[in-house]
Amino acid sequence: MSKRKTKTRIQHMLLHLVYILLCFLALVPILYALSLSFSGSGGALSSRLSLLPQDFTFQNYKMILLEKPFLRWFYNSAVLSVGTMVIAIGCGVTASYAFSRYRFRGRMGILKGLLLLNAFPQILSMFALFRLLKEMNMLDTKIGLVIIYAGSMCIFSVWNMKGYFDTIPVEIEEAGRIDGATDFQLLWKLVMPLARPAIIVTAVMVLIFVWNEYLFSTTFLLNQDSYTLAGGLYQLQSNDYSRSWGMFSAASILVSVPVLIIFFCIQKYMVSGLTAGGVKG
Amino acid sequence: MKRKISAFLCMAMTLGCLAGCGGSDDANDTKTNGPAGTEPEQQVSGEAQEIMIWHDGDESIMQVIADTANEKLAGENITVKFEKKTGLTDALQLYGNDEANGPDMYLYAHDSLGALAEMGILAPVTDVIGQDVLDGMLPMTVEAGNYKDTQYLMPVYYETLLFMYNKELWEGDLPATTDGLYEYMEAHTDVDAGTYAVVNQHSTAYNVAPFINGFGGYIIDKDGNPGLNDAKTVEAIAYNQKFAALQADGDYNTVTALFNEGKAAAIVGGPWLVSGIRDAGIDLGIASLADFSLPNGSGMAPYSGVQSIGVLKYAAENKKEALGRVLEAIAAPEVGVALANQSSCAPANIAAYDDSEVAANEMIMAMKQTAETATPMPNIPEMSVMWGPAEELLAAVNKSGEDVSSAADAAQEKALTAIEDMQ
Amino acid sequence: MRNKKQKAAPWLYSSPALLLIALVIVFPIIYTAYISLTNMNLYHWSDYEVIGLTNYARALLKADSGFLGALLTTLLWTALNMAIQVVAAYFIALGLNTEGLRGKRFYKTLLMFPWAMPAYVSILLWRVGIYNTEFGLLNKVLVALGFSKVNLLSTNGPAFCACMALNLWMALPFMIMMIDGALQSIDKSYYESAELDGAGFWTKNIHITVPAMKGIIAPAVIMTTFTTFKQFDIVYLLTMQKGAYSGATLQTVITYAQQNAFVSNNYGLSSAVSIIIFFLIMVFSLLTNRSVKEESYE
Repeated sequence: MSKRKTKTRIQHMLLHLVYILLCFLALVPILYALSLSFSGSGGALSSRLSLLPQDFTFQNYKMILLEKPFLRWFYNSAVLSVGTMVIAIGCGVTASYAFSRYRFRGRMGILKGLLLLNAFPQILSMFALFRLLKEMNMLDTKIGLVIIYAGSMCIFSVWNMKGYFDTIPVEIEEAGRIDGATDFQLLWKLVMPLARPAIIVTAVMVLIFVWNEYLFSTTFLLNQDSYTLAGGLYQLQSNDYSRSWGMFSAASILVSVPVLIIFFCIQKYMVSGLTAGGVKG
Repeated sequence: MKRKISAFLCMAMTLGCLAGCGGSDDANDTKTNGPAGTEPEQQVSGEAQEIMIWHDGDESIMQVIADTANEKLAGENITVKFEKKTGLTDALQLYGNDEANGPDMYLYAHDSLGALAEMGILAPVTDVIGQDVLDGMLPMTVEAGNYKDTQYLMPVYYETLLFMYNKELWEGDLPATTDGLYEYMEAHTDVDAGTYAVVNQHSTAYNVAPFINGFGGYIIDKDGNPGLNDAKTVEAIAYNQKFAALQADGDYNTVTALFNEGKAAAIVGGPWLVSGIRDAGIDLGIASLADFSLPNGSGMAPYSGVQSIGVLKYAAENKKEALGRVLEAIAAPEVGVALANQSSCAPANIAAYDDSEVAANEMIMAMKQTAETATPMPNIPEMSVMWGPAEELLAAVNKSGEDVSSAADAAQEKALTAIEDMQ
Repeated sequence: MRNKKQKAAPWLYSSPALLLIALVIVFPIIYTAYISLTNMNLYHWSDYEVIGLTNYARALLKADSGFLGALLTTLLWTALNMAIQVVAAYFIALGLNTEGLRGKRFYKTLLMFPWAMPAYVSILLWRVGIYNTEFGLLNKVLVALGFSKVNLLSTNGPAFCACMALNLWMALPFMIMMIDGALQSIDKSYYESAELDGAGFWTKNIHITVPAMKGIIAPAVIMTTFTTFKQFDIVYLLTMQKGAYSGATLQTVITYAQQNAFVSNNYGLSSAVSIIIFFLIMVFSLLTNRSVKEESYE
């Protein structure tokens, strides 16, 4: 018995060792950036090896928050992300409910077709999307960009939520239907609360997609004040930030923090929301 | 919690449905509802008119131009505004026909002229300003904006690469030959410690051009024939290779940071670096690259890039008057003097050099001297596809250690294919 | 009456989503297909006309040079990344489910950090913070250990590995999370009875855990496979950003298509390349779809 205990203990020690190493590998680039963002100029080039900042200073953060339209970009990113999320989820929930609950002609065809469409690399549609926005007179507007983002994430939303809806027993709705509830009421009062994990996770994935997107936003928005955070950083990396790697690190950290916070808030829904309801708890 | 989420989603859905339908059915409606319908103002007499110029350069330089020009335009109800677009030529491809969203003019180096002119989005600059304005500019800079005997661009300032060094770090006098420079580099570079004598973007075609042109090679000739595997080009690239080995990674950000942090004693760079160098508090010394002679006896011959303004066709049709006023304001000697004194740019305007402060500026005089021997970058459309193959060649030789002549043949092949693909 | 309404209802509900998709996904594909039939290029910018299938013939003739290599690279990239990702994540998650191991939650939380960083920021962080010869941590460590600096991104082999390391860093957390969730959903009683039968570590994994998990993680794996196949940012930003070629000449199909579009300015030709690539990806995804389906029927 005690032999087995020692065996488990050694096993655990080894596991701890492995995980500490893994965590270290996962965090080193981030810690390095964090340390540089608090370092004075020259920190990046010093030959010393340490993850602690050299000449601790808030200078980099100050420069970014005060000298660049950072808050403006932050606001733009937030508006675009939330707008896209609202539209993508709004369209996605009703569509995935239809695909999950109704059996109609063309259903499988559409579902499969959507997966195939997903295979088209979006970067190649840049020119066509430009023409589209131009025809709709929506270049350089937030609504135009929101439509593009929402459309890009729509397939993912539909598929992900449909999978989850499929796992919710139909009997619950049938009971409701007998009580005379309309489809909308059913969806609203019964299905959506049950599908909360999937909806939340899908919403967050959409949010993160928009938050990180830079190519469309720098192409379709035309002045510095309307850029998003990612777009603004992308425009800056070739000149201003080259003067200070510490400043770029600070900006990176500032961009990542909101995503990190959102992520840890919804962590408990994450797995169940993305695995088509196959996971309990 | 639950209720909040459901209330939120309710809102989400209704909004979603509305926007989802609105987006496609009545596109014109959404435009008026759109939160940020930013149409450029139409020309209405009596109202202030804003002329938009896109650029992809240093914002502080553009600010100097804008401020000085706006001062001159005061009282005319016209203002000029600069907007930075990274990847300017790609953006112009999209927006060059789009009057509602595109710029009125653009300010960029002259080498992209051919491509933009062939697309048919540019109007000759002489449509909006008279020849007399151009006569006040250095002939070399005017020539650079001429494509197929049409004058498309009005030059504003020009730049060439310079040898910039940190007076506190450089030991002794500057060598007179590139071989001497190489000896100095060998003696003063410690790659592992990260201290360098001279850094250069050694795999960027523009930065290697001083060698290539100096050796008598060429990237592309006037008739659009690439010369990447020309014997002299290959010789120059092989010569540059040994310098590259002592010049760090050669990426723009890396070399700039090395010089600004005092880890490199000298850098081959342009005037756009100066504001950063000044901020870093470095005692900057400047020399013309033409002062270093190559083994064949001729000096290094950098390209000159003429930052010029081009006029978009639709703007020339509708805002002719205002554009003319803006260009005349930018062409004024005052702008040239301000550019020279505040941003260390070499103005295209001849009269600006009469200013005593400009004439005393070491850097501008070095550029002016270089410019007299410098080759203007080719402005034919084929040039736009040459940078890629040329830089792949340099990276292959300098970074991946490939054989120069076989890499040059491969790059030449790629360049020919790329040119063929344009048709 | 009721029946008719029933028939219309699903279309009504899905119409906003389908409209959006038609607009943002389908329209560009059709438009690209149209452009691919024209001679739109620098010299025919606004006066382009339909020239038939010429561009396709040219695109296919070009295929021998760059495209085939790019396709092979992409397939290798996808296969290697997915294999390593799934296997590594499986064992990491398995370890995290060891009974009585303390600090599991702590490790899980820390391991998630890289996933939450915006991809674009992560890539630049790695390019400069890790791989750069002057600022990079990797080279600082090498120098401190007495080796000389290496530029990993300068030749294809090492650059491929460097890109892969970064991709794994970015994508592993997600996979670990999925597999960890799946593992927790497996009924513990299976293991107990297997242990009574004297099953060892490998037998248990191969006969119980893997089959039980397959169906659950399939959607996540398919999704990741697509993302990996379509991965553009990593290769582009690490090795071939304009003016910052690192020396490696890695091309994936997507970077290949993008390069073709923007370098030659020949939209007709590059649209033809895009459409061909789209077809190939469709075939590829049809194949993966089939194999996944067969697996879940087992």
